[in-house]
Amino acid sequence: MSSQQKISDSPINFAEKIIEDVKNSKDEGVLKCVQCGMCTSICPAARHSDYNPRDIIERVLEGDESILADDNIWNCFYCYTCHSVCPVGNSVCEVNQILKQMAIENKIGYDKLYEYMGFADSYFNAAIGAIPEIFFKDIDRDVPGWWDFRLHLDEIRNELELDPPLMPSKETIDEVSKILTITGFKDKIEKIRASQEDYK
Amino acid sequence: MRDDLKVGVFLCECGGNISDTIDLDKVKEELDVDFIGQFENLCSLNGRKIIRDAIFDYDLDRVVVAACSPISHEKTFQDYVKPLNPYLMDMANIREQCSWVHDDSKKATNKAISLINASIEKVKQSDAVDPIYCQTPDEVAVIGGGIAGMNAALSLAKQGTKVTLIEQSPSIGGHMAKIGKVFSPVKIAEECGMCLLNPILNELVWNENIKVLTNTKVIEAERRAGTYNLILEKSPRYVDEDKCISCGKCAEVCEVEVPNDWNDNLSMRKAIYRPFGQSYPESYVIDMDNCTKCSNCVKVCSMKAIKLRGKSERIPLQVGSIVVATGHKLFDMEKRPEYGYTRYDDVITQSELGRITGVNGPTKGKLLKSNGEVPKRVVMIQCVGSRDEKPDGHKYCSKICCTVALKNANIIKHKYPDTDVLICYTDVRTPGMFEKYYKHTQENEVRFLRGRPGEVVRKGDNFIVRTEDTIKGEFVEIEADMVVLSTAMEPSKGTEEIAEILNVGTTEDGFIKESHPKIKPIATDVQGIFVCGTAHEPKDITDSIMQATAAASKVGEYNYGGVEIEPFIAEIDTERCIVCGECIAHCKYKSMSIHNDEIYIDPMSCTGCGKCLIGCEQRAIAINGNIDEKIKATIGGVLSKKQKGERMILVFLDNIGYTAADNIGVNRLSYPESIHIIKVISVNRVTPKHIRYALENGADGVFIGEFPGDLMYDEVERKIQGVKNRLIELDEDPERITFSKVYIPYFTGLARKLTEFDRRIAELDGK
Repeated sequence: MSSQQKISDSPINFAEKIIEDVKNSKDEGVLKCVQCGMCTSICPAARHSDYNPRDIIERVLEGDESILADDNIWNCFYCYTCHSVCPVGNSVCEVNQILKQMAIENKIGYDKLYEYMGFADSYFNAAIGAIPEIFFKDIDRDVPGWWDFRLHLDEIRNELELDPPLMPSKETIDEVSKILTITGFKDKIEKIRASQEDYK
Repeated sequence: MRDDLKVGVFLCECGGNISDTIDLDKVKEELDVDFIGQFENLCSLNGRKIIRDAIFDYDLDRVVVAACSPISHEKTFQDYVKPLNPYLMDMANIREQCSWVHDDSKKATNKAISLINASIEKVKQSDAVDPIYCQTPDEVAVIGGGIAGMNAALSLAKQGTKVTLIEQSPSIGGHMAKIGKVFSPVKIAEECGMCLLNPILNELVWNENIKVLTNTKVIEAERRAGTYNLILEKSPRYVDEDKCISCGKCAEVCEVEVPNDWNDNLSMRKAIYRPFGQSYPESYVIDMDNCTKCSNCVKVCSMKAIKLRGKSERIPLQVGSIVVATGHKLFDMEKRPEYGYTRYDDVITQSELGRITGVNGPTKGKLLKSNGEVPKRVVMIQCVGSRDEKPDGHKYCSKICCTVALKNANIIKHKYPDTDVLICYTDVRTPGMFEKYYKHTQENEVRFLRGRPGEVVRKGDNFIVRTEDTIKGEFVEIEADMVVLSTAMEPSKGTEEIAEILNVGTTEDGFIKESHPKIKPIATDVQGIFVCGTAHEPKDITDSIMQATAAASKVGEYNYGGVEIEPFIAEIDTERCIVCGECIAHCKYKSMSIHNDEIYIDPMSCTGCGKCLIGCEQRAIAINGNIDEKIKATIGGVLSKKQKGERMILVFLDNIGYTAADNIGVNRLSYPESIHIIKVISVNRVTPKHIRYALENGADGVFIGEFPGDLMYDEVERKIQGVKNRLIELDEDPERITFSKVYIPYFTGLARKLTEFDRRIAELDGK
């Protein structure tokens, strides 16, 4: 495979856009990457999928905006290990969050977000971030005994002499819902949901 | 009387640099002096004749050269005014601070007239004074007995200089003694380090000009007129060096076993021990922290060399200069638990690998794991603690670890061709001839993987090194049974301590800072103190030796050439002085001390700031060279040329601020013509009296700049605030005075501050 760099190309613009993003806390960290791969060497997502944090930065520095459409960027789940080990003070984790936001603005990745709609529902229904039911099966597979634990949580709490979990009041729930509606969160959720459900 | 002095003014066109902007004819019309002439290039050799002839022809007493900055050519013109005293000449800076910063020819010409007039008034107040020459004693202290210190000491001694070599451990030799094998990029082979070190060590021991003090540290230092008075503390050895014949019987009977630090704690030694086979002094030593005082050794010693009681001894040492060669230490692996160094015996450092493969090491040169087997695969991890911006890491590259890894990989391959050696690197840095050794290493079937491992974990009998092969873009888990970490070099504890004791500057990384990283790589920021070896920054043996011998040469320049000092420093009137010592307490530069019942002022460290004057109730101190009157005359000289409606701001800067101001001109930035800069020996010499005099005689604003690194900074800031408070009491506007930080590199900031101050003053005047 070969590629060309035209005299008018300015690959660094992509990195600059990321540096300017409000989520970036590392100043020029992206530009200082030497591709040492330490991030990839300890990245759990890299071990279990084709996600490669070093490669993310490589493509950003090449100005390769096709990365926004790469399914792999959705495999990072923000453990921040890359952020804490990077020898040049970069944070792929933050860059990843910025890339995802850019993808969403370009109407990419709605299908990935759709899986998380359960979280959004719980904000509206209970004013908390509860684990959506669609993940229960996976969790029970990965964490043996989890389902059993969850079913008997009340009894366990009781045994440990703990009070029942404190849930937000109806007023709180209404208030949170109102905030989420005014700030446009609700519209976004409906847009994502509509795009996927229409599609189906 | 001073008004009768004949003054000559020499205007330099500077090949148009000045005359293209400033109307020199107009300048000539406006100034009233005994001689004034205009010349194309005064600094050329021809200038000497022009100036000298005019001095004779017009019988001149004082000379003003209106040209470039005194920073550029003051020394030249001080020489050209001979036979006049050099300090009877003053330079008006009409290039860097006039023609190069202003475009408006008319305004620039007016400003030039003011600046030249200021110099005219100033030189009338100048006295003939002579520079002070200091001859320093030619004895030298070399601190640190590693390869750098040994070479510096030897080079000095061979040139006839008396040297005291001070080493805090029981033997000289340093890191090189324990390194095992060394290689040079030209010889594609490894050779015995000790065999190269030993001749140097022997030569040093036999040289009569060198005195070696081991177990010794510098604990105090004081400087006076180029002489350092050091206080050394020599800890007892408990074994008499002169009697001990190193037979070793004492160690045989000693019952205490402790980890042998010379072997990186990979083997054990006794409480009475000899650090290594070739250690010097050739004598045993007792590690009193671990000795049980059982006296077995005393009983068995046929030479009666051992005494279990002893006290540390304080030794005064007077030297003219000091070479700091206090070396480095290695990165503390407790800071990188992810590599498992503290958990697993077979995760080791390159230094430990050097001991293991050394024939005088714990395994007599055999590469063995802790279970006694030869490793099947050794993985080396580069840049551990180096090139690492995490808070506990070092941003710099430690420079030698790539080649150290190559060397140790080759040593393994020579002896154990079946052991796989893999070096995980980020970049292989083998500049110059070292590249050939890199190729040689590849030919030896050492393997390389480009990737920086994140962790080392145990799995069964082996380790797993987790890394990415960044060339393939693939995450890999490498099985290994030995992991070697290439740890960063960092300043030794001794380096940190000596920097504080000698008051020499350090870099942000804690190494001893050179006075200029590009062109003065051996001098420190303290006159007479030089640095070499890894106390300065990471470097290899060859570079250390080069810098050590260069340091010896620099000491020679300094010791034999003498030091010339500007004479504008404090002077004591011994008739009046009652030696109360008040001035000593006031001096921030530690220049004053009592010597033979008189106050002694060290001309090398006195800056002429005049702080001592305040404490002296006897009024027994003066600053040489009529400084107060010269400042007053300069102020008067500028202001007397003020024109109706013109705004005039006086800016007082010392050498540092003045250099920054020159840089504005050199870089062709600009600031308003109202700015008139006056160079002073120390900003603290600008007194409230001067500031009031300026404001009363037409100055619209006064700007005082000081470098925050100057020891008098806080003092000056407080003083300026005092002057402002006084103005408020007098119902005048304190905003007419400002105090500001200045830095040489930050000249753009100074230009901006000057411009802003001009605007503020204009606003006060409703303009």
